Amino acid sequence: MSPSRFDELIHAPTRLAIVSLLAAVEWADFKFIRDEVHLSDSALSKQLTTLEEAGYVEIRKSFVGKRPRTSARLSKAGRAAFDLHVAALQEIVARSGATLRPS
Amino acid sequence: MGGHPQPEEAASALAGIRRQQEHVVDAVLVPAWYWWAVGAAMVAIGAAVDSHRAVVLGVVIPVAVIALVAMTGAMIFGAYRGAQVSRELLTERGAAYIVGFVWLVVGLTLGCAFGLRAAGAPWPATIATALGGLALANGGPRLMRRLRVIMLRNRAGNAR
Repeated sequence: MSPSRFDELIHAPTRLAIVSLLAAVEWADFKFIRDEVHLSDSALSKQLTTLEEAGYVEIRKSFVGKRPRTSARLSKAGRAAFDLHVAALQEIVARSGATLRPS
Repeated sequence: MGGHPQPEEAASALAGIRRQQEHVVDAVLVPAWYWWAVGAAMVAIGAAVDSHRAVVLGVVIPVAVIALVAMTGAMIFGAYRGAQVSRELLTERGAAYIVGFVWLVVGLTLGCAFGLRAAGAPWPATIATALGGLALANGGPRLMRRLRVIMLRNRAGNAR
């Protein structure tokens, strides 16, 4: 059986959407994430800060010409936590499937 | 909050993750217009070469090359879409498909150009780049569909 660990921080619906998105890309612009997960700037900023403080996300601020650009990527720890969380969810579903199966 | 979710909630969360990642994969793949634009730039270069006019060569080729490099760079590094495709989802197999496709189109274009020139056909570079451009416009979206399958196969929750 593969290792699993349910992660309360990731499981919150909004953060789960953000982490799922970041797990599918190398990095993403703030705007791209905001539009994909349908959040306001302030709500996304708050969630990214929470994930950054947990060490799950790395935020990069740069300039393109004179315009500031913020992008985010999943850290190694974030990717590992997400993989373990997905495995935990799969385990919960699989266990229930096993108990629901007629004997 | 607190405690592990019920199986129904876990299944719903997994479905949400899959949907989110499917949506992201669709958003980061190269759009169909890109292949037509690259094909058009190739034909412009071919026609400029066949014109044998220094002014046309000096203007069209640099402009077309800059456009090609800018468009391709924006697609590869994600500047156009605001996100870069995950190498982990793309895998070496996906990268091999891309490299193979590029070589196929380059080989077809150069092979046709030299063949037509050797046969004494008029406008060999234009005809060859038009064929290469058509191969790009037709094959590019097919390649993207193939990459989509590979990436979705490797997304979270699927066995890798």
